[in-house]
Amino acid sequence: MKRKTKLQAFINLLAPFLGLILVIAIFSSMPDVQSRFLRIANLKSVATQSVIVALGALGMTLVIIGGGIDLSAASNIALSSVITAYAINAGLPPLLGILLGVLTGGLIGFMNGVLITELRLVPFIITLGMMGIARGLAKWIANNQKIDAPLSWVNDLMAKSPRPSWLLLAPGVWLMIVFAVAMAVLLRYTVFGRHVFAIGSNEATARLCGVRTKRAKVIIYALSGLFCGLSGVMEFSRLTVGDPTVAVGLELDIIAAVVIGGGSLIGGEGSILGSMIGVFIMAFLRNGCTMMGWPNYIQEIIIGVIIVAAVSLDQIRHRRAA
Amino acid sequence: MIPQAKKFIIFFLFAGLLLAGCGGKDQAAAAGEAKVFTIAVIPKGMTHEFWKAIHAGAAQAAKELGVNIIWKGPQKEDDRAQQITVVEDVISRGVAGVVLAPLDDRALVRPVQEAMREKIPVVIIDSGLQGKDYLSFVATDNYQGGVLAAKRMGDLLQGQGRIFMIRYQEGSASTAERERGFLETVTKEFPGLKLLVKDQYAGSTTETAYQLAENLLGRFPDVEGIFCPNESSTFGTLRALQESQLAGKVKFVGFDSSPKLVQALRDGHLHGLILQNPVKMGYLGVSYMVQYLRGQKIPERVDTGVYLATKENMDTPEIRALLSPDLSILD
Repeated sequence: MKRKTKLQAFINLLAPFLGLILVIAIFSSMPDVQSRFLRIANLKSVATQSVIVALGALGMTLVIIGGGIDLSAASNIALSSVITAYAINAGLPPLLGILLGVLTGGLIGFMNGVLITELRLVPFIITLGMMGIARGLAKWIANNQKIDAPLSWVNDLMAKSPRPSWLLLAPGVWLMIVFAVAMAVLLRYTVFGRHVFAIGSNEATARLCGVRTKRAKVIIYALSGLFCGLSGVMEFSRLTVGDPTVAVGLELDIIAAVVIGGGSLIGGEGSILGSMIGVFIMAFLRNGCTMMGWPNYIQEIIIGVIIVAAVSLDQIRHRRAA
Repeated sequence: MIPQAKKFIIFFLFAGLLLAGCGGKDQAAAAGEAKVFTIAVIPKGMTHEFWKAIHAGAAQAAKELGVNIIWKGPQKEDDRAQQITVVEDVISRGVAGVVLAPLDDRALVRPVQEAMREKIPVVIIDSGLQGKDYLSFVATDNYQGGVLAAKRMGDLLQGQGRIFMIRYQEGSASTAERERGFLETVTKEFPGLKLLVKDQYAGSTTETAYQLAENLLGRFPDVEGIFCPNESSTFGTLRALQESQLAGKVKFVGFDSSPKLVQALRDGHLHGLILQNPVKMGYLGVSYMVQYLRGQKIPERVDTGVYLATKENMDTPEIRALLSPDLSILD
């Protein structure tokens, strides 16, 4: 049994991984950009561009494996970035600003979790509502403007060329890597991680087996919210302003990354590594298309095709397994 | 396993073909020309008529001067974060120069500094950027545009009436200047004009502007004049006015042009359009960049002018060229 699941996990990762290799291979063979695409400087900028979606995807992977969805992710990112900017602009120390931003994200996530479990409504509805609430709050707090917070070390977190140059990558990229590893360990080797899979596969059975599903779900959404908060801090770092209109529709990019990476929207399946590969497929595509000077609609069509293809491959695999 | 493998291969072949198909044309175009400057022109969005006119101007300059341009905006209209990404990506590609219409006067500062550090010069068009890390700023005097709109509104209502000023979007510098010009001129020169609404934002699309205008018209049906500071808010408001049978009755001054707005001007639904010269902006942006690359001196600030179009003057050649810019070069 165990061997089989390992093999299956390997196959599940194979398709997105091949996809990533293919995307990179195609762009590195384009005569126009060949010499530039694989340069360290470009890889660094793709890594930095991926951080915001990647952090959101870490939380989203957890939510989707647990059989839920979080549509409020992008609004939450905007709200957290506005809170961080607001706090720093009000003269608080930057570290406190970051903390407040992350906690705001966590609070929104926590509320998602509590509402979903207490009102017994589907996550789609609750988080759809929260999407509007968080976006509205962000605009309200920012007074319908962007907040020009004074520059501080927070804005170096996403600088492509980091200040102590031995860091090589932006601190935000390192944070992304560290948290990705931590989440992968959490999902695979802890009781909580197994519970998430159990809830996503069959919530009723999980409850009958003694899993405290309500508590676990609140933790799932709160964690996802914390990651959105951190992602919001990174968004602020990158923009150097708190912008309440940022990241509109980004939740769909985040969900797409998880799905491309093998996450199943019916729950019970998905992996952190897969989601990260999904994030990078989209980031490389965007980067490559821009470098080639292709129009945006080409990009959108390609990403659409990849989402449909990834999910249908998944279905085919399932039918064979059944 | 075999049918599964086959499906994998089919999918990747398909994806590969799709990508290769898209690339083919550019490769063919690039072959044969050796050392030609490639200049990236980065607008705020790609769907508004205004940006198409900028594109036409840029393409015209590129054709006359024998350079290539890459025309590439953020994937989502008006998304600051994605515009930063586009700037970073064209730096990675290694273009000769960047002509940029920054979505934010502050957020784009760092990517522009990065370009200059990589020895890629930047010319800013349309909207301002903080700091001094660019060669030249080619734009409309937006404040003046607002002043012109206020004067037109004052004339239309003979200095007396209840009006709306609909704002465009939070944090957009160029439209905020127009709004400021309008507001200050109204308060200073036309104290008889009463602003019923002055702090409502239309949002970035026609649809959001439409909804806002509908709601405002429902609440203040006795409004006599409306000013909108850009194309999408003007068109959205126009649709709302037409829908509620108020078009033509309410004095309406808008900003920028599109075929529908020109028609509305002719029908008397719009009583004034403040026009910029986006073709000239795109043209000058690219030509100054090329002049700089060829070692010539270029001016630091260029005003491309504002103009008032009315039903009376809309058929003069000068205004006609601004109302319906010649986009044939883009086909």
